[in-house]
Amino acid sequence: MANLNIKVSADPRIDMMKFATMAKVREEAIQAAPANEVNGVFPINENAKALHPDYLELVIDEVIDRGGAQAKTFVLKRADGAPLPYFRAGQYISLKLPLDGSFVTRSYSLCLSPKEALAGKYAITVRANPGGFVADRLLAEKKPGDKLVASGPQGFFYYEKLRDAKTVVGLAGGSGITPFLSLAYAIRDGIEDFNLTLLFGSRTEDNILFRKELDEIAAACPKFKVVHVLSEEEKAGFESGFITAELIKKYAPAEGEFSVYLCGPEAMYRFLKPEIAKLGLPERLFRRKLIDVTKTPWECEGYPAECKGKTFTIKVKQGPQEWTIPASADEPVLVAVERAGIKAPSRCRAGECGWCRSRLLEGTVFIPQENELRRWADKHYGYIHPCCSFPTSDLVLDVPGVFF
Amino acid sequence: MPKFDVVVVGAGNAGMSAALQSQLLGFKTLLIEQHNLPGGAATSFVRGRFEVDPSLHELCDYGPADNPGDVRNMMADYGVKAEFLEVGECFRCVSTYRDGSPMDVTMPAGIDAFIDKMEFYVPGSREKMVQLFDLFQEVLDGIAYITASRGNPDKNILGTTYANMLKTGAYSTQEVFDALELPDRCQDILSTYWSYLGVDMEHLAFIHYAAMVHKYTSRGAYILKHTSHELATAMVERFRELGGEIWFNCRAEEFLFRGEYCCGVRTNLGVVDCHYVLANINPDIIYGKMMPKELVPEREKKLVAARDRKIGGRMYTAYFCMDCTPEELGIHDYTIFLPGSCDSPTEYAGIMGGMKTNNFSIFNCYNIAHPEFSPPGTCVCAFTTFGSPVDWNDLKQEDYFKFKEAGVDKMLANLKEKLGVDLSGHIEEIEIASPWTFARYLGVPEGGVYGYEPRDWDGMMARMQMIAYDYPIKGMRPIGAAGPRGDGYAASMICGRLMALNAALDMKKWKEEGGKA
Repeated sequence: MANLNIKVSADPRIDMMKFATMAKVREEAIQAAPANEVNGVFPINENAKALHPDYLELVIDEVIDRGGAQAKTFVLKRADGAPLPYFRAGQYISLKLPLDGSFVTRSYSLCLSPKEALAGKYAITVRANPGGFVADRLLAEKKPGDKLVASGPQGFFYYEKLRDAKTVVGLAGGSGITPFLSLAYAIRDGIEDFNLTLLFGSRTEDNILFRKELDEIAAACPKFKVVHVLSEEEKAGFESGFITAELIKKYAPAEGEFSVYLCGPEAMYRFLKPEIAKLGLPERLFRRKLIDVTKTPWECEGYPAECKGKTFTIKVKQGPQEWTIPASADEPVLVAVERAGIKAPSRCRAGECGWCRSRLLEGTVFIPQENELRRWADKHYGYIHPCCSFPTSDLVLDVPGVFF
Repeated sequence: MPKFDVVVVGAGNAGMSAALQSQLLGFKTLLIEQHNLPGGAATSFVRGRFEVDPSLHELCDYGPADNPGDVRNMMADYGVKAEFLEVGECFRCVSTYRDGSPMDVTMPAGIDAFIDKMEFYVPGSREKMVQLFDLFQEVLDGIAYITASRGNPDKNILGTTYANMLKTGAYSTQEVFDALELPDRCQDILSTYWSYLGVDMEHLAFIHYAAMVHKYTSRGAYILKHTSHELATAMVERFRELGGEIWFNCRAEEFLFRGEYCCGVRTNLGVVDCHYVLANINPDIIYGKMMPKELVPEREKKLVAARDRKIGGRMYTAYFCMDCTPEELGIHDYTIFLPGSCDSPTEYAGIMGGMKTNNFSIFNCYNIAHPEFSPPGTCVCAFTTFGSPVDWNDLKQEDYFKFKEAGVDKMLANLKEKLGVDLSGHIEEIEIASPWTFARYLGVPEGGVYGYEPRDWDGMMARMQMIAYDYPIKGMRPIGAAGPRGDGYAASMICGRLMALNAALDMKKWKEEGGKA
């Protein structure tokens, strides 16, 4: 650096002096400030926490029986009636339920207009599910005044104008109608701006969930249309049979792009997969709400057949605690953890949200291909999503903590 | 009650580095992280068939094997293995020169290549640019010397070997550019990097700017092959392998004291006892929310007041997963700066005025640096700008989603106008992260990932000279972007390591003095 002799001010000695006094100048700036109590509260952080709380404590305000649809709507509020986090129409909340010594989560789409959240109101609808562990218990037991703990609004099943076509053809089956009801309300209320044509599969006319609500929105709002598709009845004014590529084409715009949104049970998805493929849509125009992991993993490609019906042992670690629990090979790891009454994080139960991400320290699991949504490094370093991983050996698992 | 030597709170870049260093020194170390993922900003998320890196544009301090930077050296010392890729060029900048004529420059990596290209754009600039880079080199060496001295450099060595660093060290970048009489257009092009430190050229210490730009040009910029989550996970797994313990979804609620010594942390998973806490948390939050008010030293209250919430880098970003290739979109550069002008004080003021006046954005396309970043026939792009409290403090929840989108519309329109690149019709997945999002996941004040602005009296060098005076709480040191080295992956990791070493010295001293048990 021999040839460089820089001068910033007129006198290099002043330049040197400035460096030598940097710490002093800084200390003077500090000492000149008042010794106020430190305020650790920042509005942006408070806003973020209000929109995305760790969890919500809710009270059942009202229970609405859906009669022939064999479902109930639970209207939920906070104990003090304060506003609830706003949400994107189509999102869900995850209930955290103690049940017979287990601690389970279940996700339910919010089935009301997002504007209701500002008035302190959420609603979810639970449909009868014979043989299931949770739905029938909720229907039989939960009454106004009962308390529930839930996550804040979650999920990616919402309209995004920069991505989606201006017209969406919605395909709903059974309780898969709930996110669409919220989307329809949001269109009606001017919160969302797109055309929604809903093909809604039910068994019979009597069995249609939200018949009245859907018809009312359609009558009031030209951007929303509903077509009922009955699988077990043929009636005038209804489509009959199953939703097919032909039926989608019949109601889709004749010209221009359209998006397809699908929310329904596993069987419906299996049936519709090849039908949707016939439409030749680019991937960006097809969105699906993942509902749950398969109940029959042994039917999936790559499943190690010898594991079916076996019971393994899992050593579960969480912070300073440790448990040893049994686990059926036929159920996801998360279910074994829940059955043991361990509070572990989970939300979507389909591998998508990653909230249950845990370190598999020892052992092997089977993950169905359609639930394989892990990050590259998580696959590489042995992190799994227990909600959609089936044990195929004894395991040692390190699960994250919970805040509720 | 579990007992550890060191508890590191927050598994961000600084926390992971501090935890690795502590464990390597033989301390029984616990790393707790309030999220269910490590990394803080160094993370990733999955949407459909894409995995997206939400924060890293480029690491300036990795470098090739024959010219390793601090990050490469640190990872080697820690035994962390992750795959890095060189980005190739420094940047493209499309803007307007101060004389009003259009600017579209692409600057390569490599000092000679950078100077050659500058001579091409600004004929006659070579001699001044060579001087500038000589000065950069001296500054970089000087900082390394001061860091190695842990804040106690030998004055004689400084005065002889690093005289030019001393003479420029107290000035802003603009003052030094003017002193060197760098041609205007040279200054305009060189000002591009100001946003990586979040302080405009008139308030950004030259020394800080010099260190960063020299690293980018001499060593090249790097990204992770499989997103920053690869690096975070590799660091955590190495920490585990060394015997360290990590608890996810574990939030420090309060620091516990015995007398004036910090001796533990209350968390949602219970109380943890320890000898030392390294807190990857902004001091405003530690002092304001997480410890007894009467134990916050007077001078620390003054330090917080003097900084007056000048938070840097309130990120506002949008990620696009595209169903076509970069070529089909007409994108050929990894990093394209799109500032409204080359006048950084104007740009800074525009950003602080909110989205009405903010004309600044950076556009990245990951597949340019790594063609297999996403599935064949697709690519991942991102916009970055900064948010202002003007927009995000009082925004209502019911307006939040639409407001987020409106800002992105503006950036998309700018991209179309300036580069002729139109993303519409090919977006398969999109995610928009606002200062609220960064506040939510990182817990940083106002979603600012740069800590406090390294501005004027509170620049990097002044902070480094006062390491022994700032944060005097016994048994606890804050680490992270708010620390002496400022923001960035490398700076945070260096800070974490430095404070872990200092903590070790403190504990050794206590032992010798027969102090804290």
